[in-house]
Amino acid sequence: MAVVKYVNLYFKLVSAGIRAQMQYRFAFIMRIIGLVTAYTGTAVTMWVMLYQFQMLGSWNFYEMLFLYAIAILSWGFCVVLFLHFRSLDTYILNGTFDRFLVRPINPFFHFMSMKFDVASFGQFIFSIFIFIWVSFELHIGWTIGKVLFLLASIVGGILIQGGMLVLISAIAFWTTKSQQFYWVVMYPARNLTNYPLVIYPKIVQWIAAFIVPFGFVNYFPAAVILEKDAPFFPANIGYFSPLVGLVFFLLSYYVWMLGLSRYKSAGS
Amino acid sequence: MQSFHIYWTFTKKAFLRSAVYRFDVWSRLGSNLIFLLMWGSIWTALYAGREEAGGISFQAMLTYIVVSQFLTGVNGAGTPLWEIQEKVRTGDIALELMRPFNVPLRYLFADLGSVAFYAITALLPIYAILFIVMDFALPTSLWTWVIFIVAAFIGFLIRYCIEMAFGLLSFFLVETGGIEDVFYFAMSLLSGSVIPLWFFPEWLANIAVYLPFQGIYYIPNAIFIGEIAGGEILLSIGLQIFWVFVCFFLLRFVWHKASLKVVVQGG
Repeated sequence: MAVVKYVNLYFKLVSAGIRAQMQYRFAFIMRIIGLVTAYTGTAVTMWVMLYQFQMLGSWNFYEMLFLYAIAILSWGFCVVLFLHFRSLDTYILNGTFDRFLVRPINPFFHFMSMKFDVASFGQFIFSIFIFIWVSFELHIGWTIGKVLFLLASIVGGILIQGGMLVLISAIAFWTTKSQQFYWVVMYPARNLTNYPLVIYPKIVQWIAAFIVPFGFVNYFPAAVILEKDAPFFPANIGYFSPLVGLVFFLLSYYVWMLGLSRYKSAGS
Repeated sequence: MQSFHIYWTFTKKAFLRSAVYRFDVWSRLGSNLIFLLMWGSIWTALYAGREEAGGISFQAMLTYIVVSQFLTGVNGAGTPLWEIQEKVRTGDIALELMRPFNVPLRYLFADLGSVAFYAITALLPIYAILFIVMDFALPTSLWTWVIFIVAAFIGFLIRYCIEMAFGLLSFFLVETGGIEDVFYFAMSLLSGSVIPLWFFPEWLANIAVYLPFQGIYYIPNAIFIGEIAGGEILLSIGLQIFWVFVCFFLLRFVWHKASLKVVVQGG
């Protein structure tokens, strides 16, 4: 029952958010165009890079595009669902966070559904186009099993990246400042994983697998679908992606709730 | 001389202001080093154990990337563009317009202060250690060092003028989202910041040499590793000076137009 109520509520809040953003139609379209060009820019950079060299650590251009598109697609969903957490510290600092505490719903849920960034259509357009293109180029034989696995690992990717956003935002409960950590942890980690992990030193690969588990967002699942080796890691480690996502997200949620219980309003 | 004194004050203030936000400096450095790791790994993987590719030795290529990442740090330490755009958006820019100084120059001098602080306390020590510990292709003559510093400085000015002129477009278009992304992509690729121009497909290299962006990273980096040498050096510096003038006049023009068109939103 509670779940149904929350799902209903989520869509109500979100549709209010969408209507608010659609008031600025020009800005909305410009942002989508901007996102698509920015992602295309990275893809073009990859192409130029491989123009002379052909291979990056046994990955060719199309395989790299595939890897990149998985990251972008799950990031798109993650932006829709969890990006609002990035601004948690501003709320806490200004004392406006308190309003999430005085309403009869879960504060985590309430905060999460406050803002819905529709510009993430840019991510969807870009990544779906790439999936189709690359499937032709690489002759990926899509079976139902493979499609299901791709969807499951995208869910895993959303949970990992969303969990990271939640975890970073939770720092603000203790320090009232967390934006910086986004730029030191999340942003570089996302950029690093745009390229196959195999090119990095072993210690970095190990961190990306077991500490900041971004390797499970795209590298391990892509290796499974494209039937490529992920050296230094057990074969088919990619199948654990959804599980890793779930565990990591629950852990982040727990830390966030722990922070919330310690929260003292900045007051005014 | 009097006016120089005014601007110099901005430099000193910005230097001191940066000293207050020390955590900012550390996080910026951390992020810079992670990107260095990324590009270093990418180029190591591209060379895949080869000693040289396309006439460029692996050691020289790695040096190119390290120098480039250092300059990226320097170029990124100034006032972020969005801060100025935010001032346009909120109307705070009106306060600056009323004061007796040239706003683009005032930001340039302030940037020099924050860059100086960041370079002295963070970038220079770390990169000096890198250059001592790792085996990079350092310039052997003092002349190359001097020319590199000159080229890097002119590159900084070019980047500043272009970026500022671009940022001021927000005077005309309140929303610059899409164009901004195209601009930053063009700047990062065509400046040779991560891929040197000699590895470009020919048609793209032909476009890049006619644009000002190569003056920001490609020319100083290539001078540092000795890929631009002899008579070519003077030619490249001359090209940079040409572009810095063009970009400076572009900035002045945009600024002039913009200040006539201040639309203060809201009250």
